[in-house]
Amino acid sequence: MNQSHGFTRHGEELFVAQFSDSEKEVLINLSQQIIELLAERVDHHDQDPLAAMVGITVHDSPPDDEVLLRLLPNAYADGVDAAEFRRYTESVLRTKKQAHAMSIRTMLMSSEDGSIELNHELANAWLGGLNDIRLALGVRLNVEKNSHEELELLAPDDPMRGVYGVYSWLGWLQGNLLEALMDGIES
Amino acid sequence: MVKIKSKIEEEINAIFSTDRPWVTIVWDDPVNLMDYVTYVFMELFGYSRERATELMMKVHNEGKAVVSEGTREEMEHDVARLHEFGLWATLQRGDQPL
Repeated sequence: MNQSHGFTRHGEELFVAQFSDSEKEVLINLSQQIIELLAERVDHHDQDPLAAMVGITVHDSPPDDEVLLRLLPNAYADGVDAAEFRRYTESVLRTKKQAHAMSIRTMLMSSEDGSIELNHELANAWLGGLNDIRLALGVRLNVEKNSHEELELLAPDDPMRGVYGVYSWLGWLQGNLLEALMDGIES
Repeated sequence: MVKIKSKIEEEINAIFSTDRPWVTIVWDDPVNLMDYVTYVFMELFGYSRERATELMMKVHNEGKAVVSEGTREEMEHDVARLHEFGLWATLQRGDQPL
């Protein structure tokens, strides 16, 4: 299978790409992992069902996991304000991010030949979803501390080298979709 | 003593002032692509490409930038939308040091 050439603009509002079987598999797997990671914390069996229905959760502390904390960051520097905001909004944020990942996953799963057509709204969902995957991988790769030069020099048998390869490819794909989207926008 | 008094006065004024503007700040992040940050500013705030690029460069070069101003409620809404798209954003009172 040929490697994807990324997204190209078709007409006014359509963005089209063709993915190989292995690219499809990588994107489906990573989206699935994001969806699972963002699933509600299971530590709230004493949750008030009415509060849960309107999206209020009992937990208001930031997530312990580094990746989750990057995906669901504090909105205030102040701890008390941050906790209050989180209590009322985190559940909605999780759902929105899951929906982005879900649109990547379901579209690829239902595309037999790996071809994908996005309108503007779906393109935004894909951009957000791809970005969450890159943020997650970026935390694991410690992109903050490691420069790209250092990451390029990872040994061929280092499993992180493979992760960095995927991270770079996702960056290329995202950049490419952005280019197609901005193509039609006057500066 | 004088310093403490004026500080207290400031705090009291802040408590009673309801229309004090709040700001949304976006912080620099090593993962987010520059084009992506620009695009998100255009999409969420309706900024021109020029204005969005300018703000993105400020985030990139200075580590942070104020991207919107308004009431606390409006800024909470902006921060929530920026978080949805993976930008690292916080809100605070506009008269506080960044």
